[in-house]
Amino acid sequence: MINLLSMAIMMGTPLLFGAIAEVIAERTGVMVTAIEGIFIVGAWAGFVGGYLSGSLAIGFLFAIIAGVIVASLYGWICIYLKQHQVVTGVAINILVLGLSAFLYRVIFGVPTIPLTVNPLAVIPIPLLSSIPVIGEVLFNQNILTYIIYIIAPLSYFMLYKTSLGLTIRSAGENPEAVDVAGINVYKVRFLAVLFAGAMGGIAGAFYSIGFLGLFTTNIIGGRGWIAFAICFLGNWNPKGAIIGTLAFGFAEALAIYMQAKGGNSFFPNELFIAIPYIMTIVLTISRKSFNIPTKLGIPYKKEN
Amino acid sequence: MNAKLRDLFVTNIMAIVLGFVASGIMILFLNKNPIDAYYVLLTSILRDQYTFADIFVKATPLMFTALAFAFTYKANLYNIGAQGQFYIGAVIAVAGSLFFENILPSWLTLFVVLILTVLGAGIWGSFIGFVKARYNANEFLVSLMSTYVALAIMNYLLRTVLIEGKGEYPQSDPLNSSVWLPKIISGTRLHIGFVLAVLTCIGIWILLYKTPLGYRIRAVGYNAEAARMSGINSKKIYILAFFISGALAGAAGFTEVNGVQHMLVQGFNADIGTAGIGIAILANGNPIGIIFAAILFGALKVGGTIMGQMSNIPTSIIELMQGFVMVFVILAYFLRTWLDNNREKRKLQKAVLK
Amino acid sequence: METAFFELNKISKYFAKVIANKDVSFSIQSGEVLALLGENGAGKSTIMKILYGLYKLDEGKIFKEGKEIKIHSPKDAMGLGISMIQQHFSLVSSHTVTENMILGNVHGVIDKKLLREEIKKLTEFYGFNINPDAYIRDLAVGDQQKVEILKALYQKANLLIMDEPTAVLTPQESENLMKFVREFVAKGNSVIFITHKLKEVMSVADRIIVMRNGMVCGDLKKEETNELDLSKLMIGKDLILANRDLTQKMISKEVRLEIQNVTVQEEAEIPTLKDISLKLHKGEVLGVAGVSGNGQEELCEVISGAILPTSGKIFLDGEDITQKGIREKIDMGIGYVPADRSRDGMVMDMSIAENMILKSSFDKKWQKHGFIDKKILNQYTLKEIDEYSIKAPSPSVVIQDLSGGNQQKVILAREVDNGKKVIIFDQPTRGLDLGAVNHVHQVILNERVKGKSILLVSTELSEIFALSDRIAVLYKGEVQGVFHHDELTTEKIGLLMAGYQVGEES
Repeated sequence: MINLLSMAIMMGTPLLFGAIAEVIAERTGVMVTAIEGIFIVGAWAGFVGGYLSGSLAIGFLFAIIAGVIVASLYGWICIYLKQHQVVTGVAINILVLGLSAFLYRVIFGVPTIPLTVNPLAVIPIPLLSSIPVIGEVLFNQNILTYIIYIIAPLSYFMLYKTSLGLTIRSAGENPEAVDVAGINVYKVRFLAVLFAGAMGGIAGAFYSIGFLGLFTTNIIGGRGWIAFAICFLGNWNPKGAIIGTLAFGFAEALAIYMQAKGGNSFFPNELFIAIPYIMTIVLTISRKSFNIPTKLGIPYKKEN
Repeated sequence: MNAKLRDLFVTNIMAIVLGFVASGIMILFLNKNPIDAYYVLLTSILRDQYTFADIFVKATPLMFTALAFAFTYKANLYNIGAQGQFYIGAVIAVAGSLFFENILPSWLTLFVVLILTVLGAGIWGSFIGFVKARYNANEFLVSLMSTYVALAIMNYLLRTVLIEGKGEYPQSDPLNSSVWLPKIISGTRLHIGFVLAVLTCIGIWILLYKTPLGYRIRAVGYNAEAARMSGINSKKIYILAFFISGALAGAAGFTEVNGVQHMLVQGFNADIGTAGIGIAILANGNPIGIIFAAILFGALKVGGTIMGQMSNIPTSIIELMQGFVMVFVILAYFLRTWLDNNREKRKLQKAVLK
Repeated sequence: METAFFELNKISKYFAKVIANKDVSFSIQSGEVLALLGENGAGKSTIMKILYGLYKLDEGKIFKEGKEIKIHSPKDAMGLGISMIQQHFSLVSSHTVTENMILGNVHGVIDKKLLREEIKKLTEFYGFNINPDAYIRDLAVGDQQKVEILKALYQKANLLIMDEPTAVLTPQESENLMKFVREFVAKGNSVIFITHKLKEVMSVADRIIVMRNGMVCGDLKKEETNELDLSKLMIGKDLILANRDLTQKMISKEVRLEIQNVTVQEEAEIPTLKDISLKLHKGEVLGVAGVSGNGQEELCEVISGAILPTSGKIFLDGEDITQKGIREKIDMGIGYVPADRSRDGMVMDMSIAENMILKSSFDKKWQKHGFIDKKILNQYTLKEIDEYSIKAPSPSVVIQDLSGGNQQKVILAREVDNGKKVIIFDQPTRGLDLGAVNHVHQVILNERVKGKSILLVSTELSEIFALSDRIAVLYKGEVQGVFHHDELTTEKIGLLMAGYQVGEES
């Protein structure tokens, strides 16, 4: 059980990176539908950087840069060229998937045994980690888990207590008001998308070099979309994102746990794998009051 | 209007060319000559009847999944769950065929299986429309997630009920050749499903642009509020649009199982949902345009695979080319609006000078 | 002549499909109220949005106190002391007054307490009674405008641009606004007042710039002009008003539509319509006056079937139609020209012909073997284009490419046909130029003579007075009274619109 909870927190870490990224961007009015592609490119760049340099830190740096590059392409098309966000996201996701598989081959050829790196180590926090149960679950994690649980509350504070947050929230509610107030709406939105790119890049790298230690093209397998969904279900609020992440992390940990146990004759493995997705559908349906940013997904057009 | 039409062709062809150029640059990284590679691509798809016909074999399911996206897109809805609807269709097609192949005459089996597939996948799809209409659930999320659920269902069934007689691999028994879709050209894999797909594209075009129902679907898509205020029941339209959309994607399952694979293997054709969206974008959602865009994607798939075998270029080049083409097509959308606006502006400035 | 505070020199602006401004030049002095007068679409808002940095100019120069300046964004404009109140307020409705006021004006962590005090002081100084913690969505439009003004004052502007500020105010509220404007300029500030109402111009402005078709066609001191001259300048020709014989009595006493004690109330919210009872006779125009947002839209929608009443009954020719939906009501002959035509009345991306059948796509008369009969539809559309003199090259033109006035004519043509018995007009002339306004008025009067029953909702009092047989006044979802058109004066109706009870009902 402790294992399961500890794993839930760990598996939730990249999802929370992605969900917070999405919350900030969507609050400015832009859905980052390229999130799946950003996760993939993060996983790829993280592995390439980590493997070639031998340093995980450089791997994560690569992942951030790659995430920002993809995000800037997405942001340029959707914000400045005002093209369709869903459609653009789909295109970029396909492109990135092809690109990372192709470039992996360019760099590494066809290795006879899968290439691996040593993933992030667990850093037990002195004293706290020795608290029974809680310590093992919460304070026996890797560095990224600690970092995101600092970023998440900070982003909440930023959104609701600072002028930057006010600008971000206003940009998604009424961009014209932001424009009239002398703030460049495009810039606000673009920077938020770049931030999402950096965060999404880290999230992707978590799967390759933070956890598995290798890269395959199907390593993300829709988890970018899960982060996207968590943002919706968490009501565009970092608080909600944390709760959503824990639930999904638990579901995912459960699936891995059950698979490792060799399945169950009564509940098939596939059910556990499908749980996060079923959960999203059920929550999407049952959720009553959505706090959706009014102008979410709508490009800001100044002159007609 | 003429200038607009000219822009449409010029910019889209430019986008395709640029897509190839960008992919060519990528090929350079492999220390290979992209011109040689493209030469191989072009000659290989024309090298014999079998390969050439395969383009249309590959295009067949893509037309269906592209229609699935385009159809809801016209109602301003997003069905990005075509992959899942395709899987549901494939499962029903294989189960139905295996069940009826020894009971009914082959033509009747095919007919019954087609109806069951389309109905089943349609109902699976209409669930998305239903929750959208009833609970105002976000159809984008629900359709996206439904794919993963469909995948799990297919995997489960293939591991249990539908598993082959030998029980070795998670795949179904092969279908009796009596329930295979008839070939159009012998010596190739090209089957009647291709004709069905083309006819469906034309049929959907007629439905959308020539019938009152299609009119209402488009009206809801462009302006749901005005449609509601005009007495059109948009909820009904949502459910119906998703039913048709799901049915279309399901039909791809039927043509793939009964026309090409003749069995069901875990995780097959994993990318035709997203490729379908790409085709729909390339065709600007127009059902007739989808026929041609799907053939282009089919050619890329066939040529890319052979290119991989012949010149040692990884098959991920296919996704790469598709991705680049799509991104450039989106940029072409922008370019067209920009050109159009500039043209109007120049006209105005000229008018002032007179 | 002293150097102007601000000067615009030969400014031109081209949009994709229209010339918004061509060689516009004028100046404003310190301590002056400048009125920018013109019809809708004359280019008044555009030129001001250029001055405020929201739009980029294509040609021309801007000077401040004789020196050329460049304004690239609202930030630049604010730095120069310019502030602008948009016609459609730029407020975030889910945020509080304070949050809206400080947007873009504070940095770092927000000190709510301090800001609240600061804003409170400001509101008290100007005598505005606004709670800094109120959410914008909960404020009346008049109060929202005060927030906009406060925002400008908070930025310490000395040139205040107001775009059609009285459009949403009662006559008395407008009065107060004028007073504020006078006080504001008395302190050495300047105001540019965009409007299309001649009365306001004469009451508040020192100088008047008249615009037509994107160009300046008059620059006059108030003392040197009068309303008649201004209107001629504004329209470019003499205005012929729609003819209405005021002595022509209602054709029939027969009641066509009866609304009995109708209330509309969302769960746990204030009712939008409260116990409304109205009678609409054959061949009658019933005007509904009121400040917008006092239940007009709900009244129209409850009749058209878009919303169902929470309680009460509606009868058409004696038949209970309370629970009927939109489609049934269309079939019964109720036409509806909605206020927000682009949102509720038409599909912008479809052709004129396609918009013609928006409400009757179920009707077999447009179909042949289950398909839409394009020939019949085109013939019909051509006939309507001719009858309503809609400026359009063909029925297959996308309606988006028509001017606002021509779009409105398309809807008018459709609804006059749909409304065999009753036609609801909600703000039918909003945003139209005077030529189009006249056309709409003529159509309304023609249909009245044909014996149709017409409900005319408008916030333009002149329109209500000119066309209505009887006038009902709405305030906070309640009918303040129903009067014969000659029983009311502007002053009296103003009081009724503000919620005061006045006797002598008919």
